[in-house]
Amino acid sequence: MTKNTVNEIERMVVTRIFDAPRELVWKAWTDPKYVMQWWGPKGFTSPVCKMDFRVGGKYLICTRTPDGQEFWHGGEYHEIVPHEKIISSMYFSDSEGNKVEPAQLGIEHEAIEGANDVILFEDLGNGQTKLTFIGNEPMESATNSGQLEGMNQVLDKVAEVVTKLAQAK
Amino acid sequence: MIERLSHGPASVHGLTEPFALSQQMISKHIAYLVRARIVIKTKRGRESVCTLRPEAIKKVRDWAFSYRRFWEESFDKLDAVVNQMKKDQIKKEEARDDKKHSERNRADGRYKNF
Repeated sequence: MTKNTVNEIERMVVTRIFDAPRELVWKAWTDPKYVMQWWGPKGFTSPVCKMDFRVGGKYLICTRTPDGQEFWHGGEYHEIVPHEKIISSMYFSDSEGNKVEPAQLGIEHEAIEGANDVILFEDLGNGQTKLTFIGNEPMESATNSGQLEGMNQVLDKVAEVVTKLAQAK
Repeated sequence: MIERLSHGPASVHGLTEPFALSQQMISKHIAYLVRARIVIKTKRGRESVCTLRPEAIKKVRDWAFSYRRFWEESFDKLDAVVNQMKKDQIKKEEARDDKKHSERNRADGRYKNF
């Protein structure tokens, strides 16, 4: 094995500083009314969000793509430290919250088995809050191509190629 | 890997080369793509050849946002939501202050009348 081989514990980390007090960011993250407003990438919506926000409680959320396809995610809360930390699982599910293998949905997605998402809320003391999301999916695709930040560009390229293919037809 | 295949079919060996991964890992990855019906694997002599399934391309494009992009863009939206919440909270506080203020005025008024 060379040192370039895939590092299985490489986790995706996304951080963001919000210009708002921690209680507000926490509320936006833990109240389904607000989660539905921000869940998913640009152009995506969330028509359904159910959250039983307590340790051992589950959530179920629907993601609607811009062209109307719906995908469901389910998960469970494993640890909750109010205003500070949430540890939860996330998996693809059906609309009832039953776990579904991503391949069945035609999605390439390799999560670390048994690993959880960790969400940290940090009060920066000046009315700002730092949010850190540590994902349970390894940086698999990115490390494969040898560039940690490369995934987006790869996908952009794929989209470009796809567009060309579509035009060629 | 999908990017490589988007240029045309490739053998498993050819797909292994650009990556610092064992053929076994690559085969596992290909198996995922085959099961996800993104890639078709056919035997050509002793080599297995992989082709991108055309009807899968649309699906790949639909999911052409990465896990990271999912969260980055969700955070963009979360930022907007939090800002709106902040505005609403300030408005509510102002309304409460106004109410208190007018109540006090009324009370003052009553006091004066008394």
